[in-house]
Amino acid sequence: MELKEQLKAQIIEQLNLEDLTTADIKNDAPLFGDEGLGLDSIDALEFIVLLDSEYSIKIDDPSLAREIFYSIDSMADFIESNK
Amino acid sequence: MKIISHSYLNRFGAFVNGDLILSGQEDNFLKQYFVQLEIDYPKFYKMDSLSKSAFLGDFLLKNTLQNMVNIDEKLQLIFANSTSSQQTDLKFIESYTFKKNPSPSLFVYTLPNILAGEIAIKHKWYGENIFFILTKFDSKFFIDQIEMSFLRGNEYCMCGWIEMNGLEEEECFMFVVSKTVHWVENQEASNELNQILNNYRNNGIKRTIKSSNN
Amino acid sequence: MGKQAKLEGSLKCYLKYGALISPLGQNVQDHYTAFCDNKSGINQELGTGFNSEDLFLSKIKHLKNSRYNSLLELACKKIVEAYSSSFLQSEKTGIIVSTTKANLEVLPSDTFASTISIIKNILNPYHEPIIISNACISGVIAINTAADYIRSSKFDQVIIIGIDVLSDFIVYGFQSLFALSNEACRPFDKNRKGITLGEACGILIMKNTLDDDFSVEYLAGATSNDANHISGPSRSGEGLFRAVTKAIERSGVSKKEIDFISSHGTATLYNDEMESVALHRLELNHIPTNSFKGYFGHTLGAAGIIETIMCMVSMEKSVLFKSIGFSEVGTTETLNIVSENSNVDLEIVLKTASGFGGGNAALLLKQVK
Repeated sequence: MELKEQLKAQIIEQLNLEDLTTADIKNDAPLFGDEGLGLDSIDALEFIVLLDSEYSIKIDDPSLAREIFYSIDSMADFIESNK
Repeated sequence: MKIISHSYLNRFGAFVNGDLILSGQEDNFLKQYFVQLEIDYPKFYKMDSLSKSAFLGDFLLKNTLQNMVNIDEKLQLIFANSTSSQQTDLKFIESYTFKKNPSPSLFVYTLPNILAGEIAIKHKWYGENIFFILTKFDSKFFIDQIEMSFLRGNEYCMCGWIEMNGLEEEECFMFVVSKTVHWVENQEASNELNQILNNYRNNGIKRTIKSSNN
Repeated sequence: MGKQAKLEGSLKCYLKYGALISPLGQNVQDHYTAFCDNKSGINQELGTGFNSEDLFLSKIKHLKNSRYNSLLELACKKIVEAYSSSFLQSEKTGIIVSTTKANLEVLPSDTFASTISIIKNILNPYHEPIIISNACISGVIAINTAADYIRSSKFDQVIIIGIDVLSDFIVYGFQSLFALSNEACRPFDKNRKGITLGEACGILIMKNTLDDDFSVEYLAGATSNDANHISGPSRSGEGLFRAVTKAIERSGVSKKEIDFISSHGTATLYNDEMESVALHRLELNHIPTNSFKGYFGHTLGAAGIIETIMCMVSMEKSVLFKSIGFSEVGTTETLNIVSENSNVDLEIVLKTASGFGGGNAALLLKQVK
């Protein structure tokens, strides 16, 4: 499965968004805030755990989280460049 | 006090003031209602089923809420159920026992009063909130609470009896009571409330009822 | 509308001690002694974290199996020893219980069932106990609700029970939010690192008449929602600001009369910051303030009850207890945090609480002359 599709499936699983399908998440749409998926700081914690458990990437500086987790695109870029 | 509006939903339908608005067709009936009502609120998908149903039950009452004055300060939320947040509690336990990863986004929904928080956030309501655990729906209990809320200075109450714990315990009954619209005595209001819920539970809906209300 | 008019000349409500069980002791006197020595119930407990970390917790050592049930039984038995059966069984006596999670050990069975059955078996009350589960403000709301029942003449006296116990569920949950401190909690301090969890049971008796033993008058209370976030405190302290403002209005006292504030003070960065902002907006930030969390840890549904009991001890003994863990101001707005035990007569006391779901609650107590 392509990385971005895989990420979407993992996000749905990790955040218990069982009402959504991967088609509901756009690659370039913001994940946080009132637009997009409306995620918040609690969900950012889930993402940090997700990157660690699925991709063995540790985020040491949580202040970077907002930027990395901006969208599916930005997350995928970050994963690619940290493999 | 006067009961001015009410809504009810379960897997068989969504109702407002006794009228069927949507029939439940899908297993995932909460999502179905959300989509069919064309609500734009992405945070809905993150909520647990208690909060989702409260959110929808509130949405069904939106016409009533439009006409209320000082609602952001003078409306109290009074909710109750018998099973607390049990369904989400079990999911959270699963996250740390089986998935070996305690989930923060599940943990924050392991309190029943979160559903009142979601409604307050949606409307920007700063009023009073309370959540009770009762063994079964008790109209007199709700009426007592509403009376005491009005004595403290509140002018409206949005109340709810919300269970989303599998087929046997699955209903979201919400109602709005006003202090100012003509006065109905407590006993009368309590009887009316029972009547309304019994109608929802019985009329046109085939469902298993765990126990009838008192 | 005749009914409302009748209730306007509202009945007075008096609070007296019921029971208090925590790692610091088995009764109120034990706690007074421990607090005079600034003794904390918090200890490092080996292997208690999700990854077997040695967490700091305020844990009652003598509770073994079925911790919730045995703690509730113990506390209820103390009430049976202190009060007559005619008081406990009266039609005019109500029981209100504040707990967030009750007995989690029995899941998927009903976690609240044992609360009802234990109270019925031991206290044998006329009415079914009323359970409030409203996160960390449950305790303060339970006291406010008791007053509602008395003022509307539904009850003449109410037994108010606050209880929660430690569990893997609660500990792992707060760990998952990165909300736990890796040392004993330090409310309002610059170096605070988060919450220390605890367990306790406290019982208060509210009556509409004044007895000979020590009592304080309950003046008024209120709640308000932040309408901001389900788990994060509001940055502007809006809900707490409104809850305290409403409680003061309802009490009829003026802000200037408040002698002491028992704050929520969980020692998370955001909660304590929010409280400092709200108290500043209320122009109450110069008033001596403490958090009892350094003694008890955060006991969730018990917190509002046991901290109100300790406010009453402060009023009875004319003593302000040091806010353990605080040494240097660590909030945007400077608060007057009590840094040493000191003797001060207290006339009016404000108790506050804030919690998940955006809830904030406040109540005011007055010394009885």
